[in-house]
Amino acid sequence: MLLYGSVALGGVGVWLALPRGKRTPQVLGALLAGAAGGMALLGLGLAGGLANLYFYVFALMGLGAALKVITHPRPVYAALYFILTVLAAAGLFLILSAEFMAFALIIVYAGAILITYLFVIMLATQAPEEGQEEAAQAPYDTNAREPFIACAASFLLLGVLTTMMFRGAGQLEKAAPLNPDALLVQMPRKVENVLRAHGMIEAGDKVAHDERTGRPAIDAEAGTITVNRKSGGTRVFTKDQWPADMHVKNIEGLGFDLLREHPGTIEIAGVILLMAMLGAVVLSRKQVQIDEDEKQKQALGDGGGR
Amino acid sequence: MMTLAQSGFPEVMSQVTLAHYLFVSGAMFTIGLVGFLTRRNLIIMFLCTELMFQAAGIALVAFGRFHLDFTGQTFVIFVLTVAAAEAAMALALVVLLFRRRESLDAEAWREMRG
Repeated sequence: MLLYGSVALGGVGVWLALPRGKRTPQVLGALLAGAAGGMALLGLGLAGGLANLYFYVFALMGLGAALKVITHPRPVYAALYFILTVLAAAGLFLILSAEFMAFALIIVYAGAILITYLFVIMLATQAPEEGQEEAAQAPYDTNAREPFIACAASFLLLGVLTTMMFRGAGQLEKAAPLNPDALLVQMPRKVENVLRAHGMIEAGDKVAHDERTGRPAIDAEAGTITVNRKSGGTRVFTKDQWPADMHVKNIEGLGFDLLREHPGTIEIAGVILLMAMLGAVVLSRKQVQIDEDEKQKQALGDGGGR
Repeated sequence: MMTLAQSGFPEVMSQVTLAHYLFVSGAMFTIGLVGFLTRRNLIIMFLCTELMFQAAGIALVAFGRFHLDFTGQTFVIFVLTVAAAEAAMALALVVLLFRRRESLDAEAWREMRG
């Protein structure tokens, strides 16, 4: 019940916040939508603690900025608010201990994609007239198209999407904990380097290999590492002897997953990027014939410089 | 749980659950959808698709985190790739369309309706 109430409230809030003409109860709408978002989050259960506080800060920041993106009448500000959304999402990624993705998101989205957007916004906006202080807002920026139907349909979708979370989230099976250190079996060189850096083995000592399987003798479950000494004999390190930086880090796990499980997908992604680049070049090279005469006239008219 | 906390994965916060993240993701997706349907500026419409990509990314990373699997994060990399490709193509199209009509209004192309 709370779910549907807050979803409906959010829908009304977004509907009110959408720009239409001159007078709009935008602030009221934004407040309503914010209240709805907060209510739904509270309905899922309030969580205390500092890390949880960060979750709420980033979540509300992201949703608020997203609302601003779709309601701000000026495209440049919408793009800037989108950067704020990206930063909030990166914060959520950090809380989810996906550090690499958080920074990749900031670099790729805020650094590259959004700059492209800003370029195009500035390329494709009419310059203000001489006498005017600033360009008048184009009517297509200040008037939303069929806001009611869109809000109703979208928030109906949200209600359906989130029904499961309120009803059955508690009954979801807990995923079996997976030990990321299991990946250490695949990186004996890292194990050797870490152990050597901490002075636990000497140069020339190698991680032993299991005689039956031929794999490095690293047991992530039991936490034992067997090392063949150069001087002969073996030495076993148990888990409480592991240096702190022995454990698999986010970026290492990500790299292994990316290159071991999805090598074909990387190739496809590369092809997609290549095609997009070619397509963009071909598309934007095309000259529009209609404009040419006008441009020449203009160039002759004011001496070619603007 | 102790071993998880030691191994680079801080322990899952006791109370913020997967459902919280999925709700944030769903709400952000919905906002992007509303924006895509209601705004008439072509650039903002594509910005809203980026918003929806963001929402999908949050959901993927949250799932990956709570199932202790890196595949979610791997897929966010591919989502980023597709988003970059889409942005390049879409913006090239927008520039092309703007040169023809001197307007970013999606309604300026309404005769293209099937």
